[in-house]
Amino acid sequence: MPTRKLEEQLRREWWLKLTAVLGVMIVAIVLVFWIDNLLMSFVLAFVTNYLLAPIVSRLEGAGVPRGLAITIPFLGAGVLVGIGVSLILPAIIAQTELLEGQIPQYQTELMALMQRTELRLQTLLGPNAVHLSQRANEWIFLKTTELSATLPSAISGSLTVLVLTPFLAYFMLQDGRRITRGILSMVPNSLFELAINLHHQINDQMGGFIRARFIEAAIVGLVVWAGLAIIGFPFALVLAIFAAVTNLIPYIGPIIGAVPAVIIALVSTEGQVYEPMSVNLFVITSVYFVAQLIDVVFIIPFVVAKIVNLHPVTVLLVIIIGAQFMGILGMVISIPIASAAKLTITALYNHLLDFRA
Amino acid sequence: MNTLWENIFRKPKKEDDIRTVLKENPLFRDLSVRELKFLEDIVHVRRYHAGEAVFRQGEVGVGMYMIVTGRVEIFISTPDVVDEAFREIYITQLTGSDFFGELSLVEENSRRTASAVAREETVLVGFFRPDLTEILERSPNAGIKIVFRLAEVLGRRLKETTDKVSELRKSLKEMREPPPVSDAN
Repeated sequence: MPTRKLEEQLRREWWLKLTAVLGVMIVAIVLVFWIDNLLMSFVLAFVTNYLLAPIVSRLEGAGVPRGLAITIPFLGAGVLVGIGVSLILPAIIAQTELLEGQIPQYQTELMALMQRTELRLQTLLGPNAVHLSQRANEWIFLKTTELSATLPSAISGSLTVLVLTPFLAYFMLQDGRRITRGILSMVPNSLFELAINLHHQINDQMGGFIRARFIEAAIVGLVVWAGLAIIGFPFALVLAIFAAVTNLIPYIGPIIGAVPAVIIALVSTEGQVYEPMSVNLFVITSVYFVAQLIDVVFIIPFVVAKIVNLHPVTVLLVIIIGAQFMGILGMVISIPIASAAKLTITALYNHLLDFRA
Repeated sequence: MNTLWENIFRKPKKEDDIRTVLKENPLFRDLSVRELKFLEDIVHVRRYHAGEAVFRQGEVGVGMYMIVTGRVEIFISTPDVVDEAFREIYITQLTGSDFFGELSLVEENSRRTASAVAREETVLVGFFRPDLTEILERSPNAGIKIVFRLAEVLGRRLKETTDKVSELRKSLKEMREPPPVSDAN
């Protein structure tokens, strides 16, 4: 049996080590959240790290030295992204410019549609019942002014993220294990096995979660792109990328993803902006519906098996908080952060129950 | 001798460094110098004070420990025994190059069947299930060599335990049925 003096010494060391570990983690988290663009770069680097890690391990398992095993998929991904960007970027730029040019027209059409709806509602409910168009006009004006004001800083921020992300991802793949071992070495003896097991579980589940969500988003994006291209809808590529990204937001993501296309379809048919387009709301909704159907029936059960389910209310709260801090990007990255937090807390809770049982 | 805890592969130790401990361990016997260096970067070095628990009976075990320096005592707690003095049953004492807890490397959520407590300032090398998984992913050749040796160690432990159980059963039988008294006189 340990003596009282030893017990005191152990307790003191336990607190010291635990404080050191938690201190390092808290400082790292604060820095990531505090420094501009670092959070975004970190999240994207984590995603890249988890996407490339299985390839790196496989190459290393085949006898390729680790440094080279990391460089090969990085170069491969770089070449693929380069080819993809050179092929798709002109189309994206053209479509975005065209869309940008069309926005005032869409805005006018949308306002006209709202005014007509308002008139109809007023004849039904009375003259003072609804004042949709007034408020909507103010809101749309505010948002478009905001967008044009924040666009330059958003572009420079994106460039920083673009440079920082591969650098961080490479560093994570190269030295991530060493850093984790360093942090684990500071954990008190009595918590060490728990910490190592917990780290392994979280790492495993996060990897599965991120890879599954990435594949899911890519498939949804491809289906939307194919569907929109088949029906000859404009801005198919931009809309598909938007749908793929917003699909990462559970429950309401697919709806947000479909909104721009629905608006375009709505104003196009009402105002005949695109005269060769005989597309209507039904066809557009069908494309997005089919994409979601494929997602729900085929992708989720087979690919997204390890997905972390968050309660709809939690999702909503998390998205609101994310949007408050970082807008649309905040909405997208808040979900993986919340999922990671839930996974950690659940694993920790179950483990503590189980470990000491 | 306690078959489950005694190191049946004990060898005299030449140096007290980690690589020697790894090299001397039967689990890593087949590894090349390069693979041993790789393993050295994966395992965890832990330091314990005299009287500090390495693990306690009933906790979830994740892996094994090898002794670099110091001394570890293994004992079983029997909380249902009324007399407090007899609640802890001493099993064995392990020293340099000995290893313990290897069953946890293969058993998911296995519970420690005994407690391990350092009896002097002790340095241990921990090798855990996630480490084994990492080796199997990153260096399958080394991983297979370790798993093969691990199976051998566990098989040998099982054989020793079976022999011990048979011996005990035999003794029990003899105690129940005393040998017939001869009527020579």
